[in-house]
Amino acid sequence: MISPGRVSAIASNTFREAVRNRVLYALLFFGVLLIGVGIVVSSLSYVEGDRILQSVGLSSLRLFGAAIAIFVGVGLIHKEVDRRTIYTILSKPVSRTEFLLGKYLGLLVTIWLQVAIMAAAFVVVSLATGAPLDGGHAAAIGLAGIELAVVVAVATLFSSFTTPMLASLFTAGFYVVGHVTRDLRELGAASESAWVQQGTWLLHRALPDLESFNLTVQAIHQLEIRPDQVLLPLLYGVLTIGVLMAAASVIFERRDFR
Amino acid sequence: MTETVKGNDPGERGAQPEEVIRVEGLAKDFRPGFGLVRKRVLHGITFSVRRGEVFGFVGPNGAGKTTTLKVLMGLIHPQEGRATILGHDIRESAFRRHIGFLPENPYFYDYLTGREFLDFYARVSGVTKADRPARIERLLDDVGLTHAGSERLRGYSKGMLQRIGIAQAIVHDPEIVFLDEPMSGLDPIGRKEIRDLILRLNAEGKTIFMNTHILSDVEMVCHRVAILVKGRIRWVGGAADFREADGGGADVVLSRVPPDIVAAMEDAFGTGFRGQGDRIEVRVPEKRLPDLLRLSLDGGAEVVSVTPHRQSLESLFVDTVHDAEALDPTAVEESR
Ligand SMILES: Nc1ncnc2c1ncn2[C@@H]1O[C@H](COP(=O)(O)OP(=O)(O)O)[C@@H](O)[C@H]1O
Ligand SMILES: [Mg+2]
Repeated sequence: MISPGRVSAIASNTFREAVRNRVLYALLFFGVLLIGVGIVVSSLSYVEGDRILQSVGLSSLRLFGAAIAIFVGVGLIHKEVDRRTIYTILSKPVSRTEFLLGKYLGLLVTIWLQVAIMAAAFVVVSLATGAPLDGGHAAAIGLAGIELAVVVAVATLFSSFTTPMLASLFTAGFYVVGHVTRDLRELGAASESAWVQQGTWLLHRALPDLESFNLTVQAIHQLEIRPDQVLLPLLYGVLTIGVLMAAASVIFERRDFR
Repeated sequence: MTETVKGNDPGERGAQPEEVIRVEGLAKDFRPGFGLVRKRVLHGITFSVRRGEVFGFVGPNGAGKTTTLKVLMGLIHPQEGRATILGHDIRESAFRRHIGFLPENPYFYDYLTGREFLDFYARVSGVTKADRPARIERLLDDVGLTHAGSERLRGYSKGMLQRIGIAQAIVHDPEIVFLDEPMSGLDPIGRKEIRDLILRLNAEGKTIFMNTHILSDVEMVCHRVAILVKGRIRWVGGAADFREADGGGADVVLSRVPPDIVAAMEDAFGTGFRGQGDRIEVRVPEKRLPDLLRLSLDGGAEVVSVTPHRQSLESLFVDTVHDAEALDPTAVEESR
C-alpha cells in the first residue's frame, strides 16, 4: 500500500532540497530573460511581432523547463544514495516505490513552480506589448507542464540506476529524440526503402512523442484548439508517466545500496 | 574496564527468550568494479538475537558487519539465506515501524534544523501529526539537544549528529534499534553519552543490535556478543562467558615465602608457578584460591596482591581472529 503521508513527506523534503540548487536559479534567470528578450526581437520586425514574441516566449518556457528537469532532477536520487540518507529512509516503513514516487512528485512540484514563474513572465510581456492572450495560450502552457512531467519521469527512471552524468545525457538525448521522431517518421515515410519506413515508424511508436504536447503554433496563430487536442495528449502523458515510473520502480527495487 | 553490564538482564526473564532477529545462512557477494568477478563477503552466517538484550556484533574492519546490517535493513539483497525480524521476512517494509537504524558515519540533511529533521523522520515513520510535536521535544530532551533544536544540522558537532541520529532511529518508539559503530569517531565524553543512551533505551525494554570494533564499549554494554571475522561467525556467547572463560582464576603475588612452602607450592600449583626467592607469582583457578591463600598465610608468607584474572573480550577477540586466519587464510575468496 502506498501511503500518501509518507510520499508527501519525501516529496516536500525533495522540494526543499531542489529549490536550494543554484543551477535552478541560473536556468530560471535565463528562461525569464529570453522571454523578455522576445520584446526586443519582435520590435525589430514589423510583421508578426506578436507571434515572434510569443513563439520565443513559449519555446523558452518549454526548453528551460526541460533543462531544469534534466539538470536539477537527475542529481536528486543519486545524492540520497551517495550521502547515504536513503539508508535511514528505507529503514523506516517506507517502500522503495514510495521513496521514488516522493522524489518524483517533489521534483515535479519544483519544475511546475518554475513553469508558473516563466508563465507569469510570459503573461506580463504579452500584456505589456499588447499581444493577444487567450485559452490557447493557457492550453499550450498546460501541455508544456505535462510534457515536463514526462521528462521528469524519464529523469527519475534514468537516475534510478545510473550516475547523474549519464542520467542527464540519457534524458537530454531522450528529450531531443522525443521531439524529432515525428519528423523522422514523416521523412521515413517518403523514403523508397521499406526498412527506413518501418524503422522510423517503429521509433516513433516506441518512444514517447513529445511533439504531441506542443501547441505553440496553434496558440500563437490563434487557431481553434479542440478539446481532444488537449485531452488526448494529457491521457497519453499520464499513461507514459505511469509506464516510466513502473519501470523505475522495478529497477529501483532490485538495487543494492552500498 | 570491569564495569558490569547495566540495564535489564534478559537472561533472567524466563525459560525461552524470544528470538526477535533470526539470521540463517546469509551469504552476500559483491562485485567490485564492473567485471564478472564476485567477492564473497558473507559466508552463510547464522545467529539470532533475543528480545531485550544488547547484542554486540563485533569484528575487525572489513569483517562484514555493515554488510550484514544492510541486508537486515533491506538495503542490499543477499545471494543466499534468509533473515527475519520480529517474525517478518526482511524483504517486507511495513514491520519496519518497529525497528530503528543508525547507519555508520551517517550524513543527514544539513539544511534542516534538529526539529525539522526529526519531524521528517517522524512523518515517514507514521507518527501522527498530533503526536509529533510532543514526541520531538521529548526526544530532543532525551538526547540532550533541546538547546540545539532550532539550529541547522550543519552546525552540529560529530557527537551531536550521532545523538540526533539515535533520536531519528527511535522517533517512532521502535522495539529494536540497530546501530552501526555508534561510538566510533567520538571523544571519551561523546562515547559515554552514547553508551548511557544505549543502556537507557535497553532499560526501557528495547532490544539493541550494535556493530562495533571498540571492545571496551562492548564489555560495558553488551549482554551477548558474536565475533565476525572475514564474513564468518567465529564465536557467539554471553558477556559472562568471556569474562569467565577460564574459570575466573586469579594471579597471586607472594613475598617472603619460606623455602619449604615454596616446595609445597611448586608441587601443588606447578604449572602456574613463577619466580623465586622474595617474589613469587602463582596463577590459580578460582576453586583453588582458598587453598593457596591458606597455605601461604599458614606458612608465614606475605600476600602482596590477588588479582582476579578474566579473559578479556580483547584477548578472546585477538585469539579468535588469529585462529580464524590460521584456519582459513583465504576467508575472503574470489568465487565465480
Ligand atoms: N560497496 C562495496 N563494493 C565492494 N566491496 C565492498 C563494498 N562494501 C564493502 N565491501 C567489502 O565487503 C567487506 C565487508 O565490508 P563491511 O561490511 O563494510 O565491513 P565492516 O563493517 O565489518 O567493517 C570488505 O572486505 C569490503 O571491502
Ligand atoms: Mg562497518
